[in-house]
Amino acid sequence: MNRKRRLLAAGLMAGASICAVLLGAIIYGGLSKEQSSVTIALLVLTGGGTVVLATLGLDQLLSIHRIAGGEKLPVADYRHTFRLFALVALVLAAALIARRLAVPESFGRYGYFRAAAVDQARDFEPRHIGEDGCAGCHEHKKEVALHDKDAHASVPCEDCHGPGWKHAADPKKNKLPKPKGKAECLVCHRQLAARPGAFPQIRWREHFRFVGVKDMDVACTRCHSPHEPLYMDRDLRKARLHPLIQRCRDCHIGRINEKLARPENHPAIFECSYCHQDIVRDFADRPHKKIECTTCHIFVKQSEFAGRIIRDADPRFCLLCHGNADFRSDSAPPGIDWPDDHLDDVAEKPEDRKKSCIDCHRDKIHKLREVCKHEP
Amino acid sequence: MSRDDNISRRDFFKFLAAGSGLLLVHCGLPSPPPGTRKKDYDWNKHYWAYAIDTTKCIGCCACMRACRAENDVPPGYFRTWVERYRIDAADQVSVDAATKDDFVFEELPGNVVKAFFVPKLCNHCEKPVCNQVCPVGAAYRTRDGVILVDSEHCIGCGYCVQACPYGVRFISPRSHTADKCTFCYHRITRGLPPACVQACPKHARIFGDLEDPTCELSILLKQQRYRVLKPEMGTHPKCFYLGLDREVV
Repeated sequence: MNRKRRLLAAGLMAGASICAVLLGAIIYGGLSKEQSSVTIALLVLTGGGTVVLATLGLDQLLSIHRIAGGEKLPVADYRHTFRLFALVALVLAAALIARRLAVPESFGRYGYFRAAAVDQARDFEPRHIGEDGCAGCHEHKKEVALHDKDAHASVPCEDCHGPGWKHAADPKKNKLPKPKGKAECLVCHRQLAARPGAFPQIRWREHFRFVGVKDMDVACTRCHSPHEPLYMDRDLRKARLHPLIQRCRDCHIGRINEKLARPENHPAIFECSYCHQDIVRDFADRPHKKIECTTCHIFVKQSEFAGRIIRDADPRFCLLCHGNADFRSDSAPPGIDWPDDHLDDVAEKPEDRKKSCIDCHRDKIHKLREVCKHEP
Repeated sequence: MSRDDNISRRDFFKFLAAGSGLLLVHCGLPSPPPGTRKKDYDWNKHYWAYAIDTTKCIGCCACMRACRAENDVPPGYFRTWVERYRIDAADQVSVDAATKDDFVFEELPGNVVKAFFVPKLCNHCEKPVCNQVCPVGAAYRTRDGVILVDSEHCIGCGYCVQACPYGVRFISPRSHTADKCTFCYHRITRGLPPACVQACPKHARIFGDLEDPTCELSILLKQQRYRVLKPEMGTHPKCFYLGLDREVV
């Protein structure tokens, strides 16, 4: 009996070690949770079999020893069972090794996919460096400062100049393109039925005809700086309220009619002439009379000023129409070369060169220094 | 082997030990899980989603150019694109996309009553079809809700391309494997927005983390009315469309 117990213990140990080997192979074979139930069933089956075969096999081995020791006890021949279970264990181990070779490493760790692919998907270097990336070097450049205040403030640098990764790595070697054609502007500003109505868009041939451009190859950038395009806010031009009046309560005391709260629904109480009739009447006799008030007077949200020519009568605004350019036709507004030729002709003292257009040409516009009777 | 073709106990254990040793050597130790190599990102803390305000889109296709540059998308193929819907007086709908050269829309002749742009990209569905049909497990979904393709493992059978109800997948002519929008996974895991979102000049494309209730997208989805594409497919898309017309499919 003692020997039988020892036999059983030895067999169990052998069986358990085979089970451990198979289990290790299964775990390292990379099976997922979904596959584990099937695997465990298989393991129990083969493991149990292995325990039996190991026990019986050892019994067989020991029986040989017994024969060798001179004892003559009849022993059953279990070798065929041993071979059968050994074959099953071998096939299983071979299958697991084959699976290991065929299935990629890390497959099934987080689901039915290769976990290492996630890291591979992260491995690319970003190519668009973003506004912050550009601002690292260009923050104090004039263009950037202007850009952030004007109509193109929401257009990222890389939309026009292309992705900046190479340029950021070696700014001297890799220059970014400066789009100079019409096509680049028309990508956004070509008139299309599908574009939202409030978005500024043109039929460029009509636009050229209107502003008196005869050379059809002229680029938009000859008049409109892309960093400071100086366009008029269409929402505001359509609005019939005074640009300075932001809230109903600025004028109305008492209950507000909600239907009229939106500027486009508001009764036309604010034609310019209602308050500024002197100026409007005066303006009708001046050379600019065909132009609408809102062409020059717009409300600039960023700097919170209104009722003045954009950018406080910056000469560049006047030059949008009056700049002397070879592409303009004869019907275009009279052009000048400013500052060079024009200032050379008219400036008598050095401080004259600092004057803006309206310092001399105010009579061409309308009478100035008119103050609204009731400050809104 | 010892006498009478029988192995001794000692030999048997030797064989057993050698076998197990070989198996262990072959299998080796498991490699570290993803996200541990670069410890800057935990995919359990995010759940990425996307919103598109179709009323803001101006059809400039800056998103398409940015996507092409960022992800090296082969010419003629798109991970994201902008569709133009044109509806005439007889309610006839015609759809086109700027697919040539530099993705520029030209005005088309015809009496249009209503027209608008609809940007499209992978919806990164919560219940994706493409992943289910992949025979090799190359199409998968990350824990942060992004559908990706394991191009090393993909066999290019094209089953997922056919299965996707939104037509966002294609077989890349370079790698001959399935390819699609990744939400710019290399960017979002670094804290950057996807290239298309960054490029949009009208802020029509909004990207965000549904796990973060303070992010713009989460607030938007609480306050605005939105739709998803083909809800009847049961895919639970994670691209939410604001101001979408009923004609859009």
